[in-house]
Amino acid sequence: MNQAPLSGSPLLELQALNCRFGGLRALDRVSLAVKSGEIFGLIGPNGAGKTTLFNLISGLTAASGGRILWRGQPISGLRPDRIARLGLARTFQNLRLFASMSALENVLVGLHGRGRTPLVAGLLGTAAFRRRQRELEAQAFNLLELLELAPLAQQSAGSLSYGNQRRLEIARALATGPRLLLLDEPAAGLNPAEKSELSALIRLLRQRFDLTVLIIEHHVPLMMDLCDRLAVLNFGERIALGTPELVRRDPAVIEAYLGGAVEEAS
Amino acid sequence: MPLDASLLVQMLLGALLGLSVYLPLRAGQLSLATPGFYAIGGYTAALLSTRFPALAGDGALYPLPSLLLELVLAALIAGALALAIGGPVLKLKGIYLAIATIALVEILRVLNLNLGFTGGATGLFAIPQPFEGPVGYLLLSLAVLALVCWLCARLERLRLGRAMEAIREDELAAACMGLDTARVKLLSFLFSALVAAVAGVISAHFLNTWNARQGSFDASITTLAFVVFGGSRTWLGPVVGGLALTALPELLRPVGDLRLVVYGLVILLGPILFPQGLITPELLRRLRWPFRQTSAEAPAP
Repeated sequence: MNQAPLSGSPLLELQALNCRFGGLRALDRVSLAVKSGEIFGLIGPNGAGKTTLFNLISGLTAASGGRILWRGQPISGLRPDRIARLGLARTFQNLRLFASMSALENVLVGLHGRGRTPLVAGLLGTAAFRRRQRELEAQAFNLLELLELAPLAQQSAGSLSYGNQRRLEIARALATGPRLLLLDEPAAGLNPAEKSELSALIRLLRQRFDLTVLIIEHHVPLMMDLCDRLAVLNFGERIALGTPELVRRDPAVIEAYLGGAVEEAS
Repeated sequence: MPLDASLLVQMLLGALLGLSVYLPLRAGQLSLATPGFYAIGGYTAALLSTRFPALAGDGALYPLPSLLLELVLAALIAGALALAIGGPVLKLKGIYLAIATIALVEILRVLNLNLGFTGGATGLFAIPQPFEGPVGYLLLSLAVLALVCWLCARLERLRLGRAMEAIREDELAAACMGLDTARVKLLSFLFSALVAAVAGVISAHFLNTWNARQGSFDASITTLAFVVFGGSRTWLGPVVGGLALTALPELLRPVGDLRLVVYGLVILLGPILFPQGLITPELLRRLRWPFRQTSAEAPAP
């Protein structure tokens, strides 16, 4: 488990990543590197290509060019399940829980890769199988407890409140045992109190699970406070990269967010 | 006396076919290939027992060893075909998969209709009877159905069953959780083929004759109705649907010509009154049905 990359060598590296949908350039030669252990933020106006970037990393969308390296190995072109098993887990901007399954079962699906038992032992319900089941259920339950969902374990995921569904998505992603957690707008739709809890939660999870976090979020104050480094996307281009302080003062960022001079407009 | 042993056998076979449609549907895959695999099972049994005297009538291996041999062989053939075509076909989603599987059923039907060794349009006759009366078939189909139900009930509590359910809920999210969705879908398609083939073997002996009409598009729709009517979210649904909808046309015989109208009305009203089918997991939980306490009670810390 503890194959920490050499200091300085990034956990995840994107090299000149391109993504085109027909004539639309969703990502244009985006490069960035996420170091092990950091909380890396991705911000940018709507339509900047942030979620597209997540989809490329998690294997849902094929890149039109460029490379994605995970611990130095190219992973572009792998199926999403292979990428997940390498240790990259994600949540979704538009919640994608298994709605009619219970909260506990959702997390158990995340634990799928760790639950290997011979089919025959499972069919016969042998003692060893039942012990393994109980271990997995306890593990799932612990994750729910960590995200303060334990009392709701038996409720169907679809019936939970929005904030609880967001946290359940995080619990399910954590269950896959990731090294890198991709969070797609985890604060969307949360109230201010929940938002401030979220920062603390993400820091706690990073420490507890030795995680690296790549996070997309529109709530700029939260990101300035939470992230070690930020990258800013605008119309598919990376226009800034650095510490929150640096990014905040970057003229290109200010222009993208607040609008700038119009001298180039023809 | 409409509800006799013969009808009961047909009902049990209907329940098996319902389960065959249900298994891929549990993983979100609308496959209508069941009658195709059912036909393969039937032809395997019919050909073996009419062409090889050792397996029929007075042969030394008759009746149970030869029946077992037919079951195994039919399962192997249907399983091999399911694995071979499942890979490419299961890349299709939703209604496109349904159309592709209907095409499979039609291809098999036309082949069976025109090939020499399947007896062409007249089919195969005088398939030997391993049992003297319908009671033997009743016991056999009851045993097979009980076994398949038990396997399905266990499956719902296993990792594989949970993976199937997750794929049905959201295939993309399931893949992102590390589930090999293609493999899980292929397994559910394989299970479906095996159950249908076994039902075909029993049916061929029971009917005494087998022809291309046994695996037709009509049957695809009828077996799908079993699942839609009974409910597709727990194994008990297709069993109830298969039993009820097989019995209904016979039980309605006293109504005369109106019976098909009534039958149609029942199939129409079922989904309107019970959109999720008669049997749902929620209903079972309310009734404290013992076979599916979802997953787990909260474990002790």
